[in-house]
Amino acid sequence: MMMPVLASTEPGYFQKLIFGGDAASRAGAQSDALFMMIFWFSVFFFVLLMGLMVYFVFKYRRRPGVAATPSPSHNTLLEIFWTVVPSSSMLVFFVLGFQSYAEKMVVPDNSLELRVTAVKWAWDVKYPNGATSPEQQPLSIHVDPDTGVVTKGLDYPIFYVPEDTSVQLKMVSNDVIHSFWIPDFRTKMDVIPNRYTGYGFHTPTLTEDDIMADNETIQRDLWIFCAEYCGDEHSRMAATLRVVPMDVYQQKISDWGKPKSPEIEGEQLYNQMCKACHTIDGTASTGPTWSQATIDGVQFGYGYDAQLTDGTTVPRDDNYYRRSFLDPHAEVVVGYKPLMSDFNGLLDEDQVFALIAYIKTLSDRGRAESSEETENTEEPAPAGSES
Amino acid sequence: MSTLDAHASGGHHEEGSYLSGPPGMISRIWQWASTVDHKKIGVMYLVAVLTMFFLGGVAALAVRYELLDPVRTVVTQMEVDGVMTEVVSTTGQRLDPIAKIIGADDANQAYNRLFTLHGAVMVFMFIVPSIPASLGNFFLPIMIGAKDVAFPRLNLLSWYIYVVGSTFGVLSIIMGGVDTGWTFYTPYSTSTDADHIRVVFMVLAAFILGFSSILTGLNFVVTVHKLRAPGMGWFDMPLFIWGLYATSIIQVLATPVIGITLFLLIFERVMHIGIFDPAMGGDPVLYQHFFWFYSHPVVYVMILPGMGIISELLAVHSRKHIFGYRAIAFSSLGIAAVSFLVWGHHIFTAMGELAAILFSGLTFLVAIPTAIKVFNWIATLYKGSIAINTPMLYGLIFLFTFSIGGLTGLPLATLSTDLHLHDSYYVVAHFHYVMMGGTVMAFMGGIHHWWPKMFGKMYNEWGGMLGATIVFIGFNITFFTQFFLGTQGMPRRYANYVDEFQTLHVISTYGSWILLLGFLVHLVTLLHSLIAGEKAPANPWGGLTLEWETESPPIEHNFHHEPVCTHGPYDFDTVVPPHCDPKDYPLPSNPGSH
Amino acid sequence: MTTMTDTNNPPVPERIAKHPNFWRNRKHAEHFRNHDEEFDAAKFGMWLFLTTEVLLFAGIFVAYAVFRMMYPDAWSNGSHYLDWRFGGANTVVLLISSWTAASAVRCAQMNNQKWLKINLIITILCAFIFLWVKLQFEYFVKLGDGKAPGTFFSYPNAHDAHEQLWWSLYYMGTGLHALHVVIGAGLLCWVLVRSIKYQAYGPGEYTMVENSALYWHIVDLIWIFLFPLLYLVH
Ligand code: HEA
Ligand code: HEA
Ligand code: HEC
Ligand code: CUA
Ligand SMILES: [Cu+2]
Repeated sequence: MMMPVLASTEPGYFQKLIFGGDAASRAGAQSDALFMMIFWFSVFFFVLLMGLMVYFVFKYRRRPGVAATPSPSHNTLLEIFWTVVPSSSMLVFFVLGFQSYAEKMVVPDNSLELRVTAVKWAWDVKYPNGATSPEQQPLSIHVDPDTGVVTKGLDYPIFYVPEDTSVQLKMVSNDVIHSFWIPDFRTKMDVIPNRYTGYGFHTPTLTEDDIMADNETIQRDLWIFCAEYCGDEHSRMAATLRVVPMDVYQQKISDWGKPKSPEIEGEQLYNQMCKACHTIDGTASTGPTWSQATIDGVQFGYGYDAQLTDGTTVPRDDNYYRRSFLDPHAEVVVGYKPLMSDFNGLLDEDQVFALIAYIKTLSDRGRAESSEETENTEEPAPAGSES
Repeated sequence: MSTLDAHASGGHHEEGSYLSGPPGMISRIWQWASTVDHKKIGVMYLVAVLTMFFLGGVAALAVRYELLDPVRTVVTQMEVDGVMTEVVSTTGQRLDPIAKIIGADDANQAYNRLFTLHGAVMVFMFIVPSIPASLGNFFLPIMIGAKDVAFPRLNLLSWYIYVVGSTFGVLSIIMGGVDTGWTFYTPYSTSTDADHIRVVFMVLAAFILGFSSILTGLNFVVTVHKLRAPGMGWFDMPLFIWGLYATSIIQVLATPVIGITLFLLIFERVMHIGIFDPAMGGDPVLYQHFFWFYSHPVVYVMILPGMGIISELLAVHSRKHIFGYRAIAFSSLGIAAVSFLVWGHHIFTAMGELAAILFSGLTFLVAIPTAIKVFNWIATLYKGSIAINTPMLYGLIFLFTFSIGGLTGLPLATLSTDLHLHDSYYVVAHFHYVMMGGTVMAFMGGIHHWWPKMFGKMYNEWGGMLGATIVFIGFNITFFTQFFLGTQGMPRRYANYVDEFQTLHVISTYGSWILLLGFLVHLVTLLHSLIAGEKAPANPWGGLTLEWETESPPIEHNFHHEPVCTHGPYDFDTVVPPHCDPKDYPLPSNPGSH
Repeated sequence: MTTMTDTNNPPVPERIAKHPNFWRNRKHAEHFRNHDEEFDAAKFGMWLFLTTEVLLFAGIFVAYAVFRMMYPDAWSNGSHYLDWRFGGANTVVLLISSWTAASAVRCAQMNNQKWLKINLIITILCAFIFLWVKLQFEYFVKLGDGKAPGTFFSYPNAHDAHEQLWWSLYYMGTGLHALHVVIGAGLLCWVLVRSIKYQAYGPGEYTMVENSALYWHIVDLIWIFLFPLLYLVH
């Protein structure tokens, strides 16, 4: 019907200005075209009405002693006219709106299914082979050529998808409501605890514009934002969706699926899910630091005792950590609130093990314990641990 | 002026202005605190809502201040003790000092509390009561020729309920504020800051304020039904009254639902009853349905009285019979009716497909009566005698900004485009254009229009027009930029953002400073008028509605004699305005061509 | 009036006859044109207010319907836990009280001061019986069993994980209703006190009696919906 007409419309100057660029999917382009249609409709009426208003104000401005000229106080024909015209336009917008909505929601059966899990404040994407992405990149790096001062944004995870593929998202949240928004696809959907939601998109085909400066890699980065308010770090719950050629994608996920040492896997998990609240440099954050450090007289780190809000003290051993991940509200460390999500069901036993292995590397007592035979390596203590 | 004296000496005992009172500070305060006079209650509301506007405005300025730049990590190579070391620091957390004051962990948390404070104060404590409770209370009885509202003591009660409610809100803010967003979405709102009472206080504030709103609405409906002056039929009522009437109906019918919602929310939070908690089998989306079942109609509670004011301003200051009186009156009722059917458009991203389609269709319906109103207003100006003064300027500003706000609602109502725009700055811009650009502009216009009547003093016209111009410019700079932010992908409620959005954010923040300047000009102008303003005549603008027949400021019981309605509110072609010199307000030579 | 009124009304003592609150002495408020207008306004206002009350409970009913659809088993179990005999008894009590409340209005209109008071007293007694049954045989027993709302739920023999939700809604709905019973009884007490002290209500002045009775009818009506939904529908 009308949708193909909209889709074929070349994005014009205003569309580029408004959206800051083209949509990266066909459904997105359609919805942009629809937006522009409503936009021009609005501009038409707005200019017409404001034009008349300004003209009337000027033409009929008050002159002392001159009366207003009487004019009819209503006009049925005119009034019917300006009721019918907007009404019928509304009908058109409505119909096009839901056609294009269907386009955004419906995905072919054989599409790539990604499982998205949201926790405060991180995204986790699981690929069909069970792999997750360990990669990160800082948002914008700027090096001042004179002073050498480096300015960079925060680190965000990178999720890879192959080009020209239909992708289906299956999303669920582990705590509060989040919303998975990929602005370039012009779609978002809420991620709700205890219920699957989702949508699909067709990834763009890479073009010459997507060839990187090194002349070798070809890829396109799209932003993912969390669009439903979810607390302190809501504004940092972002990620990058990286569109790459199919072979690169396949290489990546099979690499990530390969077994790794527990320490490395633990570090990856930390980067994916825990970094929003826990530091490894001995500084305070939403949650306690994992490295061995003393902050305001409270000792942290593997092997040291944890003071709890109920007044008791427990040793930080493997079991303590296990409980902390899976039932965090049972034991709350002094100075902190029970804010941590319950990761029970999200971490399997291997991952718990890996995390504990990683946490051990962050504390001298942990390292001593795990490397009984591997003689003490000269690993320097993490910055800030001597406070 | 001669007619006025004739009135006063018509064998009636002298009666003072409602502002005169017993000597002595204490008895004066007691007189106001215990008054059942709708005019005094209106003035008390006016002071209170403007204070809340100021409070909300300050929070808005802080929100904008944080958004001047994104958060960045700066790594500097530095020589420490002869070794090159990397020094890492963070920039852009501008709210850190405020975070310290309010006990928040960091700038992010401070930001979250500030925008919640801003939204909650602006919605529950400022804009919902703003026009109805202040100008409405003051003028509704006078404009229909009544001595008071139907239940004056209930009116006082609703004022005190408002005070108690706002006190809880302010208490919650003083204790550090809440970070739930003004929508209190579960399960976030039931789990954040779990061991603090602040969230309960803020929810309680909204809950209590609801009762105040219900009582005011109920009072107005009964007053309009029962207390109109003899001779005043439904279609002889000024359109401001129609606006208030439609508003009151929504207030009465929608507010109880937010009542029960917040009631359940409080229990959910303190006792974990589980109804909205997914972990216990409850349904968080049910909360959203409940919330918006009230909060969508309430946006028309905000705008309908404003539209009423605009009808008055445009007619009086262009001395024209309003075009399509009945269409405007009925469209107010139409908006009120349809407003109950569209709440789902706020949760397109959380509901089933069928429901989403249904709500999208219904939402478009609500745009049509509004469009009719706008067309009628423009047609009213045709062949008028248009005075350029502050109220009229605000009338024109309203038409400009509200049209933008309303028209940008259309892509939000469209299902597929809303999936992109939802919870982005586009929505923020949309609702500021309708709330600030609609309601607040109408409110400012109404305040200036009726200022001489309320306080018996004229304000400085140049001051008023200067303020209006600065506000207009500042407003557009602040919020027009936000449409682009939204379409380009900037989510709302973000304390940080990616670099590419910075330029637009900076412009927007500068705009908010201009806005502040504009409101300060208004504040000075109006304070100056109170202290040193010229005495206002009874009918400075040549209006025909009943409030212009009594003195400025009105006497204790509004009228010396019970007024009788002998002409329509907008019969400028045939009626010489009361207390006015016909030379200033000449009638057309061949009246009555309609 | 009828002769019956006279037999029921001993001569009005001087103290009351002069009191401004005595119904014959009541003047309408200044801003109304006459007494009828005031009466109409008050009654219209009351009806509007009652609409808001119904809408308040509508929230509970909607939540009930939604969860019934989501968790039919829990809902069916829930209503099996409740004993319809207590609910039924309370329904009868409320119906009687609604009838006496209506009679009280009638008595005020007929200037039957004695039966006005008697009817009010019966109505108030019914309110107390209702609350007593509710607390003594339902709330206390159930809370003792661990059938408490939300996280306080500790009933060991629950058959369905979502039964605590049922109890949450049960307590919210009946609790809010009980609160209304208390408020209604308070209003009626106030009317009773004023009619004992000043004979404040009579043929020309019975707004308060009528409005309190209307309020009481709504309290009754809401129960008429709560009772079958909670106790009878399985
Ligand atoms: C005063 C308050 C007010 C008013 C009047 C409106 C008016 C409208 N609003 Fe708005 N809205 C809000 C306050 C208001 N809104 C708020 C506060 C929110 C966000 C809350 C939050 O999430 O925090 C919101 C959010 C919001 C959403 C949800 C967005 C999202 O979160 O995804 C939607 C979606 O449909 C919407 C639509 C509309 C529409 C269609 C109108 C229509 O009524 C507009 C009708 C007006 C016109 C159409 C313009 C005037 C007419 C002309 C110039 C004539 C020519 C026009 C035609 C021919 C059509 N609004
Ligand atoms: C009536 C409603 C209203 C009004 C008027 C305003 C006014 C303003 N708002 Fe507000 N805003 C909301 C309602 C309103 N807002 C709501 C509901 C939200 C959503 C919150 C949420 O997400 O939970 C929001 C969110 C919101 C955001 C988004 C935050 C985010 O999502 O991260 C921003 C950001 O720029 C913002 C900015 C502003 C600014 C700069 C003003 C300026 O216009 C303010 C200008 C006012 C002043 C500077 C005060 C000056 C006053 C005086 C000096 C006294 C005046 C006295 C007389 C005139 C006599 N607002
Ligand atoms: C929402 C923020 C948040 C996230 C995300 C988070 N935590 Fe926590 N964490 C906290 C808070 C707050 C505490 C302190 C309160 C407590 O002890 O429960 C804490 C405490 C802990 C502790 C105890 C620390 C100590 O020194 O005793 C461990 C271990 C822990 N978290 C592990 C994890 C792991 C593993 C992850 C990721 C899989 C994670 N956390 C993600 C907030 C978070
Ligand atoms: Cu997750 Cu916002
Ligand atoms: Cu809405």
